[in-house]
Amino acid sequence: MTDLMSPKTPQWWKKSDVKKTFILWIISTAVIGYVGVEFHVRNMVAPASDTMSSVISLMRMFTWAAAPVAGLVAAMCITVLTTKRHYGDNPPEEADHEIRNSPKTAAVWVVVSGLFCLFALVGGLVVLQHDNEAILDKQAIQVNVTGQQWVWNFDYANGARSEDLYLPVNKPVVFHITSVDVKHSFWVVQMGIKMDANPGYTTETAVTPNKIGVFDVRCAELCGLLHAYMQTKVHVVSQADYDAWLSAHAATEAGA
Amino acid sequence: MTTLTQHTSTAPGKSIIEKLNVFTALALGVISAVVVWRLSLAFLPEDAEGARLFSREDKITLLSMCGWFVGFMTGIGALVGPMRWVMGKDLAHDENMFLAGENMGPKRYFRYTTDHKVVGIQYLFITILIFFLGGGMAMLIRTNLGTPEGGWLHPQAYNSIVGTHGILMIVGTIIMITGPFGNFIMPIMIGARDMAFPRLNALSFWLIVAAAVPLIWGQFIGGITTGWSAYNPLAGQAPLGMDGYIMYICIFAISTMVAGANITTTVVKMRAKGMTWNRTPIFIYGTVASVALALPAFPVFFLSQILSAFDRALDTSFYNVAGGGSGWLYENLFWIMGHPEVYVILIPAIAALMEMAPVFTRRPLFSFNVAVLGIAGISGLSVLVWAHHMYISGWAPLLNAPFMLTTELISIPTGMMFLVLIGTLWRGRLWMTMPLMSIFALLWNFMIGGITGIYLSDVPADAFLHGSMYVTAHFHYTLMGAGLTGALASLVYWFPKMTGRMFDKTLSWISFWLVQIGFNVAFIGMFMVGLAGQPRRVEAYAPTFNTANLVTTIGAYTIMIGMLVLLHGVISSARNGVKASKNPWQAKTLEWTVDYPIPLENFDVLPVVTTDPYGYGKAKS
Repeated sequence: MTDLMSPKTPQWWKKSDVKKTFILWIISTAVIGYVGVEFHVRNMVAPASDTMSSVISLMRMFTWAAAPVAGLVAAMCITVLTTKRHYGDNPPEEADHEIRNSPKTAAVWVVVSGLFCLFALVGGLVVLQHDNEAILDKQAIQVNVTGQQWVWNFDYANGARSEDLYLPVNKPVVFHITSVDVKHSFWVVQMGIKMDANPGYTTETAVTPNKIGVFDVRCAELCGLLHAYMQTKVHVVSQADYDAWLSAHAATEAGA
Repeated sequence: MTTLTQHTSTAPGKSIIEKLNVFTALALGVISAVVVWRLSLAFLPEDAEGARLFSREDKITLLSMCGWFVGFMTGIGALVGPMRWVMGKDLAHDENMFLAGENMGPKRYFRYTTDHKVVGIQYLFITILIFFLGGGMAMLIRTNLGTPEGGWLHPQAYNSIVGTHGILMIVGTIIMITGPFGNFIMPIMIGARDMAFPRLNALSFWLIVAAAVPLIWGQFIGGITTGWSAYNPLAGQAPLGMDGYIMYICIFAISTMVAGANITTTVVKMRAKGMTWNRTPIFIYGTVASVALALPAFPVFFLSQILSAFDRALDTSFYNVAGGGSGWLYENLFWIMGHPEVYVILIPAIAALMEMAPVFTRRPLFSFNVAVLGIAGISGLSVLVWAHHMYISGWAPLLNAPFMLTTELISIPTGMMFLVLIGTLWRGRLWMTMPLMSIFALLWNFMIGGITGIYLSDVPADAFLHGSMYVTAHFHYTLMGAGLTGALASLVYWFPKMTGRMFDKTLSWISFWLVQIGFNVAFIGMFMVGLAGQPRRVEAYAPTFNTANLVTTIGAYTIMIGMLVLLHGVISSARNGVKASKNPWQAKTLEWTVDYPIPLENFDVLPVVTTDPYGYGKAKS
């Protein structure tokens, strides 16, 4: 903001509107950061995997990083709106100055937004790298996911097949996802993973569920008439329950 | 029908131009569609054994729609000029004057009129019509989503309404600024007598009318059940209504390309003497960036739909996996258009508000160069980010990181736009009008749209948010919260120049607050259900999402009331608003130097420009 003043007044920070904006900036940054984070965290589903937890912490981090920028714009808007308003059908008198630009302000602004960009990129890449490595886990349970209009089918290594997904808790699992007709998208909501099911191709995603319970699988890509109803449940159970379920279903499969 | 008889019985010559209007166009279009339909029904061979279901019907539908298109464009008179030229003689002077609508009165709005001011009003009319239809569909969607079971709309009808709402609004928002204001205001603002290619100008408008009919037609033959993105292979199995979508996009793409070439040429070649690039108003930069971005984007869209039509009607397999194609090809082509396209919508809206900011704060635009740089930066980067729509498609996981980089880089030029606006407002004298408040509304909405965009640009967060209502809320914040806000401000700002009357102040305020409050209520609710896990484009949802959906529905109705108030304001102010003076806002751009009604070629003597138009503010002594 330096050059918004006349160069003859060096102590620009002593002007009353600058002071007011500064105080407002701190307040609005705090408010925006807090409200933004709470809004996201409270509305988001409770996480059932570390992947989802890291999504939530990414959102928290980005919100706090963006808050000072949004806060500054908000503070300046409030300051401007609370001084020198003019109503009427004729224009007000001209503003007190004719300053046209300020290379310093622009430079600071660009550098700050560049740093913000870099921060968002690095934050994202770290988590992304972690997610990508999970797919390569050789020890993981392998589940084939097949989407079709309008159900999900899950195939397990021992030949079991189900329409509800069963997973043991705290064991990494890799999904191999495909479709038999149109594009679907396999979304395990509380685990924060999603991957499209493409006809003719197999795509992968991985997760480690860390909570016992029943969670939602929904289709996230418009796939025709009953897209809204293409959802099922994932049952995360203890290892013993999982083994029991698996062998029971493998037997039925073989017997049938 | 009588008009048609006249048309067909008239010998080619001068009189044919005078006989053609929108009614001959409609008649000829309908007749030619019916003729092509009967002929193709009679002569097209039966489908081969094992061909795709309905590919004969697809052929017939597409051919009939082409018949409509050719018939309509012939009937409106688009071919008169080129035919004459082929025959070796161009239009005579008085014919050109007739085409320009000289001394014709209101009839000129129903013809292939070349005057840019007429085309601007025509665009305004069709934009309002599109928003009316698209908004009505939004209300149907929101009403259906008021209860978890959905229920009173059949899923097929619901999907079709979602798709049609989407594509109508996309087209509406693409043309909402560069159409009415880019055509009416822009040439006067740069001190030109008309556009560089007046006949192409008329062509670009009437192509949109020609395009609209196949889209409406499509509603009656199965609808557009694929969402606006019309992903293949879903589009391949969609009903015949999909052909309406394909034709609509193809014709609209031609219109956009024509308009893009025309506006770009006009600005580059026809600015007034002395209007160097440093003295060219920022709105002009925004308009040119918008239409110039359409130049690489829309041919790709056109192509993607042609291939889609081939797959449907001719059993090719561009997108069909069984035949060696890939749905990922479609997604790439679609989003190579799809991402520049959102900036096609956004840039002119922000540029229009930048144009208004100095007027309503009585100080110069802050950092003109940064504004230009920001527009250029967004335009340049916007063609490099398309695959962020495909992070979770599985198409190329290795490309996720680079596309995350380009996407997040866009926040730098976008930040420049914020700097320019906020810098202009700072220490200005605020003239409290609806356009001025729109700048604050844009800053608010676009801040929310922009920051949520950063979450979505991040691959791991996108893996959760993609395909959810969160995305829907995000892009409504950018396209509607930012884009439409700029367009409505433009309407109020340039209304006196376009109609000679002021826009009713009270109505503009009422509508502003209703729309902005309704908008924020509606889409905050949508963010909430998105975060809680509701997918997009669903006609029924889990009962836990009910409350926030109801909030969204209430907000949507508030927007509707606000928009109806605005429509009432447009009609009543145009009829009996307060007569406007030549320059009611005391602005310094050239369009405010001409009297209303603006003469046919705008200026008796072409203006000479000696300064930029932002010389507001008191010089410090």
